[in-house]
Amino acid sequence: MIIAIVKKEILSLLRDGRFLVLALSIFILLSGFFLASSAEYQQIQAEKQAIGADVRQQWDNQGVKNPHSAAHFGIYVFKPDLALAAIDPGLRPFTGQSLWLEPHKRNLNRHTPAADQTLSGRFGQMTAAFVLYALLPLMMIALAFNAISQEREQGTLRMLHCLGISGKQLLFGKFIGLLSAFVLVLSPAVLVSLSILAYQFSLNSDDLSRMLILSLGFLSYYAIFAALSMAVSAALPSSRAVLFSLVAFWLASVLVAPRIGAAVAESLQPSPEATQFWQAIHHDIQNGLDNDGNAKAREAAFKQQVLQQYGVERPEDLPLGYTALLRHFNDEYASKVHDLHFGKLRDSFQQQQALSHLASCLGPTIAMRSLSMTLAGMDLRHQYHFDDAAEQYRHYFIGLTDDWDRQRSQGTQRNAEGDNLDWHSVEAFNYSPPNWQFALTTAWLDLVVLAAWLAAALSLLILAARRLKP
Amino acid sequence: MSHPPLLQAVNLVVHYKSHQAIDNLNLSVPAGCVYAMLGGNGAGKTSTIATFLGFNLPTSGQVLIDGETPQQNPEAVRAKLAYLPENVALYDYMSGLENLSFFCTLAGIHLNKQQATELLNGTGLQADAHHKRVAMYSKGMRQKVGLAIADAKQAKVMLLDEPTSGLDPSAANDFAQRIRNAADSGMAVLMATHDLFNAKQVADRIGIMKTGRLVEEFDAHSVAHDELEAKYLAHARGL
Repeated sequence: MIIAIVKKEILSLLRDGRFLVLALSIFILLSGFFLASSAEYQQIQAEKQAIGADVRQQWDNQGVKNPHSAAHFGIYVFKPDLALAAIDPGLRPFTGQSLWLEPHKRNLNRHTPAADQTLSGRFGQMTAAFVLYALLPLMMIALAFNAISQEREQGTLRMLHCLGISGKQLLFGKFIGLLSAFVLVLSPAVLVSLSILAYQFSLNSDDLSRMLILSLGFLSYYAIFAALSMAVSAALPSSRAVLFSLVAFWLASVLVAPRIGAAVAESLQPSPEATQFWQAIHHDIQNGLDNDGNAKAREAAFKQQVLQQYGVERPEDLPLGYTALLRHFNDEYASKVHDLHFGKLRDSFQQQQALSHLASCLGPTIAMRSLSMTLAGMDLRHQYHFDDAAEQYRHYFIGLTDDWDRQRSQGTQRNAEGDNLDWHSVEAFNYSPPNWQFALTTAWLDLVVLAAWLAAALSLLILAARRLKP
Repeated sequence: MSHPPLLQAVNLVVHYKSHQAIDNLNLSVPAGCVYAMLGGNGAGKTSTIATFLGFNLPTSGQVLIDGETPQQNPEAVRAKLAYLPENVALYDYMSGLENLSFFCTLAGIHLNKQQATELLNGTGLQADAHHKRVAMYSKGMRQKVGLAIADAKQAKVMLLDEPTSGLDPSAANDFAQRIRNAADSGMAVLMATHDLFNAKQVADRIGIMKTGRLVEEFDAHSVAHDELEAKYLAHARGL
């Protein structure tokens, strides 16, 4: 019986012209935005490669100089994007394209086009993902709003009732039918997008797993809108009332909730000012954490320890470069302070993100948006994964130059030198993004919110079926 | 009329909020009988049919279809009945044949194309209309599809709400004949109508309703047409 209703719903879509109009609209929208996102992605990747090669060449050819001076030349590293970033660039405009690695200091990302925007500005960028999570639910509403109310208005609902079918069979049949029809409408655009992705990128099993999870996520997301549309259509007396109610819900979920969520998160967990952040780091390095003592006291203790270790009375008499040794000691302490403050900053952003989910009571869009950017590897957690790898690399190459400096000088002299062979020997930054399981673990809250919305929408559909009056 | 009643209203009272739509109605329609309910607008005819369909809940009393109330087992009760409203609601984007197959499938009857065609032929729907979309059908053609659904269901009971309203005389006559045939094959038919001529032509019993009450009931064959008209007008004018 349900199969007959599903077939009839698809037939209705095909014959009344809605299929052609919707399929064409979705095809143009999705393909257009996907091509634009994809072109931007390709351009960014090409720029990253070109700049990365240029910077590396400059690093390799610094000539003869002090290893620490060479380290101060610094190295730019770039986060490689996953293929899905072509669909959802996520936080790219806010997290930046590159990280500048230099001695003494851990940096934040650079070249963020939207650095001056607020948290709420993260929503509403026109991308393929925006079409998927913001515009397509509106199309689902356009398909579903009169699914029951029109049957009631035209009298076919009475005819159906008289056949002895239950409200539950009717509503669930129509629900599955609408969802199938929607997938059918969506499929040309999705197939073209996937073909472009497969052609432009060498997709690996991790990319495919992420795509599969994202597809299931979006299917659940559209199922929420379909079930709610159906339930409202069954409950309200006229198609017009149904349409107004569903558009209001769409507005609340897609446009209002993200902004309210961002505002709530900012007010409950304010972000620190950049100047305060760096001042706090500077203060803790100078004055020390807990009972570590201030910079002068720590240096004095270190000096004493080194002199004792090597059995000399003055740094000038040490068999290795004391300046490099002391610098390394101070950098390690600075790293400890940086780790502490960066950790707090991350916690603050993570809490903001979790708090923004409070507005998910208005709709499932925040969760879907967050799940999409997480699976695309363009969320905060993937960014932190990259930042940590970059910080490890910073420790590696600064440590290497400090070693050369220390080994090639004595006492307090600063005459150590390195050449192009040394700079060449520094390994390139080789970053592997985390796998899909990492993404899934990261997105647990989004998945819970989506599951809760789906359960609520289906419960409403069951309730509407029980109360269905022809 | 020795058959047991398939349709019964027993002391039926139905209220819509404060408005009393049906006031202590008692009627019964056995198998093979066409019962015509006459009455003006607001007399309670459509409310009675809606109550038999289970769309209205009795305030007191009950309706029985083949001994069961629609509230006890709504799906099973509805499976026994066919319903033809004034305008038979079908899906405009589907053909008559597709509508018939769809409604029958939902009723648990799986027809092949030949069976569906035969059913439509049996109602007199022209063969060249079977594959045309229902949007192009006249009211009479839609009713024929509705009758085909009722035939396919092999319903025990048929409920008709103003079935000949808007039909041309020839189509109304044709329709009346088909209803008579359905009753003769053992169906119980309850028909709400304004059409005295049609009622006299097809019905076995006639009841006249006014403000929710059954004010008079008689054997249709026992009255002449002008006598029926006189009775109807007398009640309508409050005489």
